[in-house]
Order: sequence, then structure tokens, then C-alpha cells
Amino acid sequence: MKKCVVLAGFLFLALAMGTARAADNTVVIGLQGPITGAWAYEGQMAKQSCEIAADLINKKGGILGGKKIVLKVEDDAGEPKSGALAAQKLAVQKDVAAVVSTYGSSVNEPSANIYEKFKKVNIGYGSTAVRLTQNNLKYFFRTCGRDDSQGRFFANVVPRKFKARRIAIMHDNTAFGKGLAEDTKAALDALVKAKKVQIVYFDAITPGEKDFKVTLTTLREAKPDVWYFTGYYAEAALLVAQARDIGIKCPFVGGNAAINDEFVKIAGLNIAKGCYMTNEPLPGDLPYPAAKQFLAAYKAKFGNIPSSPWPIYAADALNIIAYAADKTRSTDSTKIAAYLRDKVNGVPGITGPIGFTPQGDREGVPFYLYVVDDKGKIVVSK
Amino acid sequence: MEQVISPEKKGLRNSRLFILVPVIAAFMVYPFLVSDYFIDIAFFFGIYALLGLSLNIVLGEVGLFDLGHAGFYAIGAYTTAILNTKFGIPILVLIPVAALAAALFAYVVFSPVIHLQGDYLLIVTLGMGEIIRQALINNPFDLTGGPNGVFGIDFPRIALPGIGEIFVCDSSIKYYFLIWAIVGLTIIGLKSLQNSRIGRAWNYIREDEVAANATGIDSRHYKLLAFVLGAGLAGVAGNVYACKLMVVSPESFTFWESCLMFCIVLIGGMGSIPGVLIGAAFISLFPEIFRPFAMYRMLIFGSAMILMMMFRPGGAWPRKRGAVEFRSLLEDSGRSDA
Amino acid sequence: MQVILEQLINGLTIGSFYALIALGYSMVYGVLKLINFAHGDLFTFGSYLGYTVLVFGAAFLTAHFGLWGAFVVATGVAALSIACVGVVMERIAYRPVYRAGRLPAVVSALGASIFLQNAIMVIWGPRFQAYPSEFIPDAKVMLGDIRISLLQVIILAMSFLLMGLLYFIVQKTTFGAAIRATAHDRKTASLMGININKVIFFVFTLGPALGALTGVMVGMYYRQISFTMGWNYGLKAFTASVLGGIGNIPGAMVGGLILGVLEMLGAAYISAAWKDVFVFVILILVLIFRPTGILGEKTAEKV
Repeated sequence: MKKCVVLAGFLFLALAMGTARAADNTVVIGLQGPITGAWAYEGQMAKQSCEIAADLINKKGGILGGKKIVLKVEDDAGEPKSGALAAQKLAVQKDVAAVVSTYGSSVNEPSANIYEKFKKVNIGYGSTAVRLTQNNLKYFFRTCGRDDSQGRFFANVVPRKFKARRIAIMHDNTAFGKGLAEDTKAALDALVKAKKVQIVYFDAITPGEKDFKVTLTTLREAKPDVWYFTGYYAEAALLVAQARDIGIKCPFVGGNAAINDEFVKIAGLNIAKGCYMTNEPLPGDLPYPAAKQFLAAYKAKFGNIPSSPWPIYAADALNIIAYAADKTRSTDSTKIAAYLRDKVNGVPGITGPIGFTPQGDREGVPFYLYVVDDKGKIVVSK
Repeated sequence: MEQVISPEKKGLRNSRLFILVPVIAAFMVYPFLVSDYFIDIAFFFGIYALLGLSLNIVLGEVGLFDLGHAGFYAIGAYTTAILNTKFGIPILVLIPVAALAAALFAYVVFSPVIHLQGDYLLIVTLGMGEIIRQALINNPFDLTGGPNGVFGIDFPRIALPGIGEIFVCDSSIKYYFLIWAIVGLTIIGLKSLQNSRIGRAWNYIREDEVAANATGIDSRHYKLLAFVLGAGLAGVAGNVYACKLMVVSPESFTFWESCLMFCIVLIGGMGSIPGVLIGAAFISLFPEIFRPFAMYRMLIFGSAMILMMMFRPGGAWPRKRGAVEFRSLLEDSGRSDA
Repeated sequence: MQVILEQLINGLTIGSFYALIALGYSMVYGVLKLINFAHGDLFTFGSYLGYTVLVFGAAFLTAHFGLWGAFVVATGVAALSIACVGVVMERIAYRPVYRAGRLPAVVSALGASIFLQNAIMVIWGPRFQAYPSEFIPDAKVMLGDIRISLLQVIILAMSFLLMGLLYFIVQKTTFGAAIRATAHDRKTASLMGININKVIFFVFTLGPALGALTGVMVGMYYRQISFTMGWNYGLKAFTASVLGGIGNIPGAMVGGLILGVLEMLGAAYISAAWKDVFVFVILILVLIFRPTGILGEKTAEKV
């Protein structure tokens, strides 16, 4: 009996928390992300970025004539089932105008379906799988690019720059890494058919592991001219360090999650310098005033700028929701969705002008080839 | 001799009815009172209940350690996903197919290893779960979609020739009734199984395999049967999970998921059906209730698991008949009072 | 040939990590018949402690003890603290539970694992942490034609030294005999006057200490640590201890080394992506033909 009372108490508590309403002079924007679990660092940086973005808007007087933005965060632990529950939780709350959601593509898919059912705008910030925008969803958008655009960029630029004929591609078996690797392979297809290049190695490492020497020895024996790794910086740093250790000398090119300041820190300057990556313009290189202002605020509060490219897309997702809500004078998701799709074009954001294709993809995400210079700075490769 | 129901037994039956009726009524009414979020929590509670029941056959009834149960769950989910998206076979037709696929797999894999004892069997099940998950990630024959998984799974539908579609399961509330109907049927089936020849043979094997063999029980046969049945039920759970989320991907079927199922059975009480329901409720509701604690919630969850075992080591609702047996099982497995 | 030898050394390095962690599983299992699922997270915890010592004591340590001294201090602090954590964990999470049997202890161990992993995340944050590179020697040693790093040599030497030491303690000393007796039959051992509590205390200090030491070595070797890494290493090390014959201490060492080499073979000659599948298939095959592992003794069935 006592137990029943306790249980009922908990349920009541949960209900009370679930239905707590924010005050009237606020606009609630949801954030769904991996606050715990293996991608917790991404989720927590996204949360920090959205807090900063909301702060900046609120300091300027808010939106809709003085309403403040309130962020409501739900954890999806980087896992589809928790993602569905987190989405469900945010989707049923009427006061949530729109949601910034979420990081991984396989988590995003069920969540996006739920938001669609409840007609809630949701903007992905790190979900780059091509298929997400091919399901005719009306409420799903994304501020990040797609896997295939980066793959095409690699095929256009890298073989020519390094005069490479033998290309090795390595991924990390995550949805993102494998997707990018396969799209790159597809983009190289024309060159392969024309016998201009050859893919001499295509295999995966297991993320979370630390020892790749065995795999790398196999890669060394394939004698590539250039080596493209499409996974994350944690593994990239280990890979490059261990590759140089066993005598792989060919240029290393990482995908847009492979190289950042942490990469340089882990691999050490001697090893990191001269490593390339294909990337959207980095936070520090973003020439836009919004970027400078955002990064300054972020650094002031958290001591350093985000160490991966994704969190600023989360901030931009929040910004564009706020912008659309302000312009439509409404927090109604359907109006916001229509506005985002039809009217938003070239709106200045942290990551450049924001606009969406009819499918909900970000329009025109540029890519650069970056290189780590002698001082360990990541700069645009000439 | 004529069987007479004693007045005490009648009273027992009445008191059971007294609990059962309100519980069922509450389950029927609940989804009409709350928002979709709470219906979905109850849905996943149902999924875990089904998974717990399926593992309970292997772990609770027969005492075989299985830490790879997520593998069967995955096979059910992926069978459903692949056959539905590639060939358009309706989800409801795929329920028995998913069950059969998982059961067949269990039969083939466990036939050669069923003689292994305790923890060695445990590591085989664990390894099997990992093999399945890795295979799904590596996308063999381009079937499983790799780490992205398979997407675009249809709703369960019933269509009659000539009349057209008569039922589409497309809302949280319908999924809720779908899963709990399956759970209810499973409970009825397992209840009668518990009291049958098979159930008693299972319990006998759990208590003392050698003696069971000596009395003519083919323990190999019965152990395999438990695995096959358990896997089949997990396959059904996979089917419902797949059509609910409309996407399946390998991160839903990790070793961790197998551990959770293991905990469901032990937190509830080995071999006890109400226990499994309590265990499943704990596993699925607890992290949701503590959502507001964000990154601290798993910390609380871990401590709660330890506390549960400290205060109720036999489970929250140990099986009556099993209670005595359970203790003797523990005595047998190398424990002594130091 | 040169490549194969090089690969073999790489495989042995991973294998020695697995072996050292596997020892922790195997010792606890031998004495308590308990699979200590939290052991992998103790390893991670040790790695983070070593990291903290090196980062915050960097200047002080190098000034007073030199480069190698700093390493010794870091491993020492990590090993000692984690030994304490191990004992505390045993008191809180296991002792009240294993009186009731071994299965509830599995749940308790999983709970402890979740707790520790998330505690590490809360304390150090979810980001990857990088071991300070100034402490890590990057010299190379030529062994004939084979180029291996000095660090690898040190790690291998240290692992084998530790394993040798443990082997000596367990197989040659009186206390070791007590441990083995307890593992064999706890009731009889206690009747023979062996202090079981002392044995339990020993396995719960030494196991976690070895794990923490490995954690620091892993941090030095790969330079980078994450709060979830214990799960991965724990799973592999547990597999290794079963492969060798769980509860059997030389078995854990052999199992770990074999597992490392198997992984290497799988990654090098089959496919890196399929290597874990390869490892587990071999494991299952071994268990079919040797149901109690490579070095496990066949136990007579109790009737």
C-alpha cells in the first residue's frame, strides 16, 4: 500500500512537471539532443549553444514585442526509442513553438515523424543523412548540410589537388561516417570509370576503440596517395598518430567531424600539422557578424568555442525559429513552417545566409578544404 | 475422486479477481485520460513487459543465463522492417514471421551450445547478441541499411478484399492497445504453460538438472524449447517496436538493452509474471520520471538498481511456489555463508 | 613477414590491456562467483584519475620526480584510489546483496556500472579528455627490421611483470593458496580456517588497482580517454576471461593475450569492420569444444 502511494506520488510529480506552463510573456522553444549517452558532449554543447543564442536574442529585447525565449531541453540519449519519447513529450506541449532536434540521423527519423504528426516544426542540427528530407515531411528542416554535398566536394577538389590516383576511404560505421564514405565513393564513381583514380581501400574502424594499428597496417600495404577518413575527431586523432607511427606518410584528409582543436590537442602538433579536412566554414572563419558576436558570447560564458561543427547549427536553428516567429507574429508551428519554407531566404545567420529548399534542406552550404598549419591553427588551405 | 474446491481456494480466487478487474479497467481507461506522451511511455512499458516475459521463460523458468536477448529482439524488428519495406508485406502478417525467424535463429545457434553451463552459456548468448548487432551495422547483402538502419516501415493495417481498409494502427492509443493486447494474450498463454507438464519440467531443470535428467526429462530438448519460445516472443516485440518507430537501427539493440531485460526479470522476481510487469515498469518508467534531472538521472537510476537488490533481493514480487525453489537455486550456485 | 611481426606486437599490446583488466573479472569471479560488471568503469575511473594527476600536477611532478617519476606517481595515485573505490563499492553494492545469491548481485553490479559511468561524466564532463603529450615518450625502438615505440615496449614489459607477479602470488605463496582454495570451494575453505573476508578484500583491492593501472597505460598509449570506454574494454576483457576459463588466473592472462591477437588477425586478414564478429565466433567455437574455456578445468557435476 505504502508503495502504491509512493508510486502515485511520483506519477503525480511527473504529471505536474509535464504540464507546467511557462508564463505568458515567453516563447518556448524545445531542444531535443543527446544530453547523456555516448554523444553527450555533442548534446551538451548544443544545449550551451542554444542557451547563448537565446540569451543574445533576449538581451536585444526578445521577439514578438518583448517576449523572452525560454529553452526547454529533453534528453534523447542518442537512441531512437528515447528520441521518440523525448519528441512525444515536446510535441504534445502546446506552448512549445518549435523544436531544435536533433543530432544523429537514426534518432532524428522517428522523432521527425512524431513532430510531423503533431504539426510541430523541428529543425535538425547534426543529422546529415540524405533520406531525412525525402519523406515529404512538412515540418522537418535542417540547418546542417547533407552527406552527399560534402562527398561531391571531395571528389571535385581532392584528387586534383594532391594529384592522387590511389584513394583510401575509411569510415567509422556510424550512420554519419558511413553515409559520408558511401556518398564520397559514389561521387568518385565518374573518375573511377574514367580510370583517373582508383579506390584502393574501403573499410571501417569501430568507434570507441583505441587501437587501430592493425587496420592501419593493412591500409599502408594498399599504398594510397591520399587517405580520407569520414568519422569523428576522437578516432581521427588516434588514427593519424598511429598511422605516422607505423610509417604512413600520405596526406590525411578528414571529413567535417574529424578535425578540430581537440584533434590537434590529442594528436599533438607534430602529427596534426599538415592534416586536411573538408568542412563547412569553421566558427572562427565565419566572416558573418552574427558568428563573431555568438562566439564571443560563448567564449565569455564557457571559456572556449564549441569543439565540433554541429552546435552552432543548433544555435542557428534556434535563431531561425525565433526569426520566423517574430516575422509571422505567431508561435503557431504551421505558420512558422510555411514561412520557413517559402519566405526565408538569405537570412543572415551564424553559419551564413539561411534558406531552405522545398524539401527542408539548407540551401547552399559551402565547403572549404582546411589544413592544420605549423602553429596548430586550422586554416583554409590555399 | 471428485475434485472439490475448498472454500479457502475460492476465497483466493475471489481476491485475485478483486485485484485483476480494477487493474484491467485502469489499463483500459488510462489512455483516454492522458496525453500522447504518457500513452507512449505506457507503450514502451508494454514492449519491455513483453521482452521481460520472453526472457523470463529462459531465465526465470529454466534458469538459463541469457545476456544476448536483444539479438532476438533485433531479428524480429529487422525481419519486419526488411520484408515490409522491400516486399510490402503487411505488418500484422509479419508478426508470426518475425517470431518464427527469431525462433529459428535461436534453434540453429543454440543447438550446438545448449550443453554449456551457467556463465559459459551466458557469454555465448552475449557473443551472439554482439555478432547480430555488428552484422546489422556492417550491412550484409545490403539488407540492413548499416548504421542508418531501415526506415519507412508501414503502419499495421487490416484490409479486406472487396471492402478495403478497415483498420489502420496510426495513433499512439492504437499502438497502446496493440501491444497490451499482445502482452495480455502472452500472459494468458504463459500462465497455462507454467502449470503444464512443460512448465514443471522447466522448473525441475532449474532446480536440479541432473535429477531431472534422471527422471527421464530430456533437459536438452526442454532448454532448447525455452530458448525458441523466448526468442519467438522477443521477435514479436521487435515487430511491434519496428512499426511503432517506423525505423530500426542497430543502436536500439545493444548489449545494454539485453542487460535491461535481465534486470527486468530479476527486479521483478524470477519466474513471476506479475514480477516481470513490475520490473518492466521500473525499467521503463523510472528514467522518464526522472527526466527533469537531465544528466543526473542515470546516476539515480544506477543507485536505485542497487537499492532494489539490497532490500528485495528475491525481486519485488517473487513467485510463490518459486520463492522456496529460488532460494535453493542460490544455495546451489556456490554460495556459502562466509 | 615484417608486417606480420609488427601486427603481432600490436595485437599483443591490446591483448595485454585485456589481460590486465580480465584479471580483475576473473579474481572476483573466482572468489564470489560474481560478474563484476562495474569493473570496466573502475578502469575508466582510474584512467581519469591518472589524467587529473598529470594535468594538475604537471609542473610540480616533472620538477620533483622527472618524466618517469610523474608517470609512476600518476599510476600509483590512480591504483591506490581505485583500490579504495573497489573496496567501498564491494561494501555498498555487493556485500549486502550477495548474501542473497549471485543473480541479484548481477543487477547490483549493472547498477554500480551505470552509476560509476555517469558519475565520471558528471565529474569530468562528457568530452573526450587528452592526456598531456609532454609526458608521453615518442621514441622508437628498432627490433631488427621492426619499428615499435618505446612506450609499447614499456607497456608490454610492465604488463608481463605485473602478470608474473600476480601469478607468483597466486600460485606460490600461502595466501595465494588461500585464494585458490576459496575459489575452488568457499565453504570448505572457510572451514579450513581461511579468512574469506580477507580474500574478498584482497581481490577487491588488487583487481581494481590493476584495472586503474591499465587505465593510465591506455591513456598514455592512446592519449585520449572517454567516459564510455570502460564498457567496451570491460566487455572484451570479460570475454577474454571466459575464453581463458573464468575464475582461473593464468587463464585470464592467456585469454586476454589470445583475444588481442585474434582481434588483430580478424582486422588484418578479414575486415576491420567484421573483426568483433570474428572474435565472438571463435569464442563460441572454442566453448563448443572446450566448454570451460582454454585453461578451465572440467568440473565434475555435483549430484
